[in-house]
This record gives sequence, structure tokens and C-alpha cells, in this order.
Amino acid sequence: MNDSITIDRIVLDLDCCTIHRGQKSTVSSVIASGLMSDVLTTDREEILLVSNLSTSQVVRTADMVNASAILVTNGKPIMGDTSDLARELDITLLTTELPLFEACCELGKIVTGN
Amino acid sequence: MLRTRKNRYRELISMQNFPISADKSPNTVLEVITRLRVRDAMARKIHTARKTDTMRKIQLIMKANKISGVPITEEGRLVGMVSVDDILSAFDQGYIGEAADEHMTRKLVVLEDDMPLSFAISYFNKYPYHRFPVIDRERRLVGVISSRDVLTSLIRELDKEIQDLESRLEDESSRNESFIHREYIVKKFDFENAGHASYEIKKLLKEKMMPPKIVRRASVACYELEINVAIHSVGGRILFDLDDRQISITALDDGPGIEDVNQVLQEGYSTANEWIRTLGFGAGMGLPNTRRVSDDFDIRSKVGAGTLVRSVIRLDAPETAPEEGRKP
Repeated sequence: MNDSITIDRIVLDLDCCTIHRGQKSTVSSVIASGLMSDVLTTDREEILLVSNLSTSQVVRTADMVNASAILVTNGKPIMGDTSDLARELDITLLTTELPLFEACCELGKIVTGN
Repeated sequence: MLRTRKNRYRELISMQNFPISADKSPNTVLEVITRLRVRDAMARKIHTARKTDTMRKIQLIMKANKISGVPITEEGRLVGMVSVDDILSAFDQGYIGEAADEHMTRKLVVLEDDMPLSFAISYFNKYPYHRFPVIDRERRLVGVISSRDVLTSLIRELDKEIQDLESRLEDESSRNESFIHREYIVKKFDFENAGHASYEIKKLLKEKMMPPKIVRRASVACYELEINVAIHSVGGRILFDLDDRQISITALDDGPGIEDVNQVLQEGYSTANEWIRTLGFGAGMGLPNTRRVSDDFDIRSKVGAGTLVRSVIRLDAPETAPEEGRKP
């Protein structure tokens, strides 16, 4: 993925609900995983972390890799501690009803411009 | 306003609140009450009675030993408790000559000898009792712990801690000026707060204008170690040290220890249960990940004693930083 995509575009195309909107407005890479240790191996920057988990540790993990935004799939409910932490660390937190795979397909369309 | 019985009960308990909180105390106190075990503070000299003994005999045991509760045992195992209240009721209702069997309290709240002292403190805050019987793993009665015992052991331990601190301060003043040391407590299964140490360390390193790659590697190492302590140990500490040459992150725990340290360094090897996996951890990547981001990595463990993992990130050679996906 060479170009950045805006968080606005993601919200629009994946019909996202915005729990918190952080300062960073774009992402330049996407990592989808339900395993936080996998996410922690990356060296990429300006990440969108896509996960079907919605615990506060997803936000902690996103913070450790300086992620710009988190997208929680499968319409998983967001607990208070998760949204509080996203606000505290100022990381954009979005949710979508789409399952993980479908969410990734939609993101793929944005990335490849198809 | 109507007040329920439950509310009044809560009020009563809060009036008797133990002067120390198991959650919101200064770090040194939290560290001490997590490190100390119930067995370190409990009284081992116990005055017990049998269930065939009369309430009067038990009252005499209380009087002779100036105690207000007597555990009832059968072949070393705890089966009940007789308190001053039970004795008063016995006098009042005229069964002071009868055996304890019928009148002792059978629903008991007990502590285990290898629980952290913080458990005992939260029990004193939760229940309206002034003492708890202590049992071992075989449910044998091994002691009794009162709030006074907890405070005495705490004062003794804090006194030691102060002496340690004083000697450490003398050591540090002779070291490099840029030396920074931090300690964080990690509690077992506390996933709400696990990651707090990494957050603080990341913030500190950013404030010190460290290169972003170094900050990232240190944050990842610290976070993986923190999660490891929360998942696999009975609880422990994260120690952070920074000088002008390196960052050192050490995870220390009090058990259970690792049988084969080579095994846990293999990617994918894990002893975590399904519940941990649903949280996004426990896939056997934590220690390999930590090693990957470290310049020096050390692990020592003894079953039954605990584990020490140390990750060092050198500041003098950032260009040698391990690359993405590099296998250890």
C-alpha cells in the first residue's frame, strides 16, 4: 500500500460507527489480526488495526505500534474501558457490523482503487 | 429516603474498614502486600477445640488465652469456628454446657497460606470478621490471621524496604546522572491495567527524545513482558532502567516458574488457556517477540520460585536494530 487513505473514506465505505475520532486523519497500512502479538511484530507506521476483538488490550497494542486507528469488526460491542482508553490515548476507534473478512475485502477495494 | 438492609450492612462494613486498601495504596505498600504471603503474617500458635468439647470449655480457652475465636478441628482439618458471639448466645439461650458440634459456625471464610497478603487485606475490607483461619492446600488448619498480624508484618516489611531504599539511594548518587529507574506492579489476570507500565515507559522515552524505533522496540518488549506476567505468573513486577548506554526492562515474578525455558522461546509454544486466547494473547509469541526486539535477552527460571526475563536495548547502535519479521 503506497498511498494514504483517509479515515473519513473508511467510515463512509464500511458504514462505520465512530466511537472516538483521534487527531490522525489518514492511514498508510492495514493490519488485520485477532492476535495482538502478531500486530506487535510490525515495523509499519500509520497503521489501521482491524480486529474482531474489542478489549482494551487492542487499544494498548495499537498504542505500542503507534497505530492511527482501530476498526472493530463483527459489530462487537465496545466496553467502557476500551472506549475510555482510546480517548485517553487519542486513537481513532471505529466499529463496523461487517465480519472481519468482508471488512478486509472492502478495505482492499479502497486500497487498490477498485 | 428508604435505606435497605443491604445498604446499612455496607455502611457498617465501611465503618470497620481496614486502614489499607489492597488496590489503591502507595506503590511500595502494594508491592509489599503482593510479595508477602498470608503465611508470612499469620500467627502459627493456634488454640483449637474439638467439636465434642462443650461451649463452656471453649469459653475457658478464650479467657485463658485472651482470644475471641476458637477454630474447631477434626484430625487437623478445620470444621468450624466458635466466636465470642456464639458463646454469648450459648449463655443467653442456656446451652453453654452442650457440645460445640451443634452450635459452632460451619460456614467459614478462610484464607490459604500461599495467597498474597493483599487477599487478606481485601477480605478484612469485604467481611465483617476480625480474623480468618488459614488453611494449607490439604485444607489443614495452619494458622490464624488478624488485622493486627497484617499491620505488624507490613510495618516490619516496610521498615526493611526503607533501609533498602536508603542504601540504594547511596549507590545511585555515585552512578551516572542520567540514570532513571522505575518499577511497576503487574497483577495476575489484571487485563484492565496490564499495559500501563509500557504506556508510562513509552511516554518517558518520548520525553527523553529517544529515536522512534528505539521507543517502539522498548514499548513492545515491555508490553509483551507485562502481558506475560499477567497471564502466566502469580503476579510480579516490571523494572525499567535507563542510562546513557542502554534501556533495560526486567520482568520478575514469584512463580510458578518455567520447566524448560528453551521451549517457551519457540514461536507458537504456549500453555495459555482458551480464555486468554479469546483476549488476543497466548499464542506463544510473547517471549520470541521480546527477544526479537532486544539486543540482549536473558531468561532465568526456577520451578516453584519464579522467573526473570531481561530485555536490553542498546542506545549506541540504533542502526543494528532488529528488522521486521527477523527470527530469533
